[in-house]
Amino acid sequence: MIEVAGLRKTYGEFAAVVDSTFSVGEGEVFGIVGPNGAGKTTTLKVLSGLVEPTDGEVTVAGFDSDDPEMRRRLGFLPEESPLYEEMTPRSYLGFFADLYDVPSDVADERIESALDRLQLDHRERRLGDMSKGMKRKVAIARSLVNDPDVLVYDEPASGLDPVTTDSVLQFTRELREAGKTVVFSAHNLYHVESVCDRVVVMNEGRIVARGSVDGIRERHGETTYHVFSDVAPSRTDALAELADDDVGDLADGRAGESDDATALTVEVGDRFRTAVPTMAAVEAVRDAVTAAGGEVVDIRTREPSLEDVFLDIVGRPMPGRYTVGTSDGSADEETSERTANDPEGAE
Amino acid sequence: MIDRLRRVLRVARWETARAGGGVDRRTLLAALALLLVVGSVVGGGLAAGVVGLDVDRDVYRVAVEDGSSYAEAVETAPALTAVPVEGASLGTSADLIVRDVRGVPADGGGSNGESTVVGVVVSASDTEKGEAAAAEFREAVEAHNERLMAAEENETAAFPIAVTLRYVSRTSGVDGGATLGGGGSSDGAEGDGGSGGGGTSDDATGGGDEGDATGTAADGGESDDTDLAVPSIAGGTFGAATVGSPGSISPPFPFVSLLLAFVFLVPMNFLIQAYGSSILDERTNRRGEPLLVTPLSPVEIVAGKTLPYVALAAAVTTLIALAVGGGPLSVVAVFPVALAFLGATFVGAMFARSFKELTFVTVGVSVLLTTYAFVPAIFTNVTPVALVSPLTLVVFDLQGEAVSAGDVLFATTPMSIGAGLLFALGLGVYREEDMFTQKPVGRKFLDALAVRLAPVGGDAHRGRGAGARGRLRALAPVALLTACAIPFVFVAELMAVALLFALPVTVSIPVLLVTIAFIEEVAKSVHLYAGFERGVFARTDRVAVAVGAASAVGFFLAEKATAVVQAVGLTELYVGRAAFGSVAGVGGLSVPVLVALAFAPLALHGVATAVTAVGASRGRTRYVLTLALATLLHAAYNFAVVSVHG
Repeated sequence: MIEVAGLRKTYGEFAAVVDSTFSVGEGEVFGIVGPNGAGKTTTLKVLSGLVEPTDGEVTVAGFDSDDPEMRRRLGFLPEESPLYEEMTPRSYLGFFADLYDVPSDVADERIESALDRLQLDHRERRLGDMSKGMKRKVAIARSLVNDPDVLVYDEPASGLDPVTTDSVLQFTRELREAGKTVVFSAHNLYHVESVCDRVVVMNEGRIVARGSVDGIRERHGETTYHVFSDVAPSRTDALAELADDDVGDLADGRAGESDDATALTVEVGDRFRTAVPTMAAVEAVRDAVTAAGGEVVDIRTREPSLEDVFLDIVGRPMPGRYTVGTSDGSADEETSERTANDPEGAE
Repeated sequence: MIDRLRRVLRVARWETARAGGGVDRRTLLAALALLLVVGSVVGGGLAAGVVGLDVDRDVYRVAVEDGSSYAEAVETAPALTAVPVEGASLGTSADLIVRDVRGVPADGGGSNGESTVVGVVVSASDTEKGEAAAAEFREAVEAHNERLMAAEENETAAFPIAVTLRYVSRTSGVDGGATLGGGGSSDGAEGDGGSGGGGTSDDATGGGDEGDATGTAADGGESDDTDLAVPSIAGGTFGAATVGSPGSISPPFPFVSLLLAFVFLVPMNFLIQAYGSSILDERTNRRGEPLLVTPLSPVEIVAGKTLPYVALAAAVTTLIALAVGGGPLSVVAVFPVALAFLGATFVGAMFARSFKELTFVTVGVSVLLTTYAFVPAIFTNVTPVALVSPLTLVVFDLQGEAVSAGDVLFATTPMSIGAGLLFALGLGVYREEDMFTQKPVGRKFLDALAVRLAPVGGDAHRGRGAGARGRLRALAPVALLTACAIPFVFVAELMAVALLFALPVTVSIPVLLVTIAFIEEVAKSVHLYAGFERGVFARTDRVAVAVGAASAVGFFLAEKATAVVQAVGLTELYVGRAAFGSVAGVGGLSVPVLVALAFAPLALHGVATAVTAVGASRGRTRYVLTLALATLLHAAYNFAVVSVHG
């Protein structure tokens, strides 16, 4: 449904997107994640035809991104919800339906349906008098008035309260069930993880990771083992070596807070939790706990979240394995040993 | 095409609904009421001006005999009302009493010795009102005399002219005194029952030469007895100072028509406020972004948003034309002005970063365009310069004078084309990448120009459209953009001519030539500077010379269009010839000279623009310096041309 090949967008000397290649299938929910300035919004604007690419090819639903026909098949939700505040939801949505040549009876039906699904009741209130969440829902409804095949959502739940956010995410899932193709970006990786089939991670204009959420987690995240004991493990050389590698940060970021434990141990209620990355380390902890006169009462594993993976890839300058894109889109399984914060090297 | 029109109309319909929805009903009613009040006051004032309604009608009561020669003067004066002289008393029933003095004149009063009017006694009450009544009466009598004399078939007798010739030595110079004129003075206080004052005859002696006095005394005597003498009362009741109202002023220009023509401009100021706000509103908080994702093109969006304001301008103009007695010509003339107002406001709203900046823009647009439209129209009856402004056509229309199709085209075309180009300039930045940025107005302007250019030179552009044809294709937008500047150059130069032509030639010509040189050099180079600043052109001397030459060619070709000034006789003026000398007065020259003259401007433009382009390629400071240098070079050329043409 969407094909992007060798996309490059520059503003003067600044490169917002560099050599970006990916494709999105029909009925897929595709996420673009990355830190501020990574190029997510620019990519979405190119997809929606708002911004002309400097180089590369972009087709949506079989049409070039600058083709008016493509725009008929696309619904776009920008990061903000700028509406004509003197209008009501009905008149506002009616206006856009009119611009898309939607017959008025069909438009009325679509508008009522979208507002029902989004649970927006105040349909004759001035938009200027509505809350941010209500306006966001109206903006989402606007993206649907032309019954598009492709929806491009930029931070759809940005700045919304948890209830509205959940409602928006649920609506996105319903769109997928309705066979729509959805591309959206988000800062909140939980949102991406909860609705996306596949994601790309962007950093400094480049795609630095791609694949299914599980696949990326598998490739980039590492399982952590949490060892619960009734006393803190005594300091041993093996645990000190793990602490020096900052493995504790992988657990919960609170390592070293307890004087009675090693750098990997935190006190949780009446128990002590020690986070380590390998089974060998688990045995080292067990030995240390025993040496301290206690015993291990529980061992649990923790799978990495997409956020952990994201931080791993773009948040820290640590070496790692990650995929990089190429112009022919065949690099999904390629790996690199270079740092994620070195985009030049990543290429 | 029909689909496109339908989309434009859709946007227009929604724009109208939005604009209406933005104001609540109560505010709308209040605004309408205010408009009604203002309209009534202005309309009433205009009606008063047109039909001669005076608020000081019948203020002063003048007691005068029915058969008196002064009765008619009193009756025709709006401020005076005649009351019976019998029983009239000053201060109570009359402010002024006019009594004829009858007697037998010294020459016997004719063959039968009957008594006749030999004088008049005017008594005024000793109050301020009495004095004002006397002054009004004096004016009424003078006006009555003027009317009688104007109605006189023998104008020489009615308006005698005294000419005094004074011969002066060549070496003595001319003194500052008047050499012509010496108007006949009408005195007539002789009480002879209506002897018009004769012209006075002055003897004048020329310094050194034989002073031959040839003054002629045009005698106004023998006039009939209806020609009243202006009464004079001892004590200075009728002093030199007279009381009058603006309605009694007779300026040497079509005052009423001009005033009515100005009324056409007033609604434009309100219109551009609403229009500018609507455009800027799209840019505030990225409100217009969703529109850009629809299948509509920017042209359709802007056309749709502008159409309601154009329609409103046309409707208001038509209504005003109907109200003040104008015809279709007035509407045709004002329409380009409305478009220019809207076009300039559109560009301003696209460049402004806030409503505060937009206010400056709309005020600037209003002042500039009002000046451009109104000032030249003042000279409607005097000079062809007036046709610079479309408003002059309105004045002609209101005066009932015919104008040629050439006049209409000349007056309206520059503004119409200029308005179109302003819209095109603004449309250049009506895209996501430009319209939501918060750049200063100057940088936005450069962006709008740069977006119309094609890359020239540099590694990034090597291989794209290689070869001579590719290079020419890249340079064509440069020439085209320069050519598009010609209407603005033309308008600016016409404006300069209109503002400077009233000054002494020794001042106006040098200032005009330098001003015009500057205007043209800016027009030829500002987009080149934009191209270099925005990285469209590679910063090399070779590229600079190439784009400079392209710009010069574009200017040279488009400049020939200014030959239209000859159609309206603008080159008959000295300043007109100075401004548009290249198209004026080249008759009688040999063919080689004509060819050289024809291509001399191309050489000038080529050299001057190449110099400026090289400066532009090296940054703003160098650009300003080379622009000044090119202006001086161009001005020197202009001086030479003016000297040759005379």
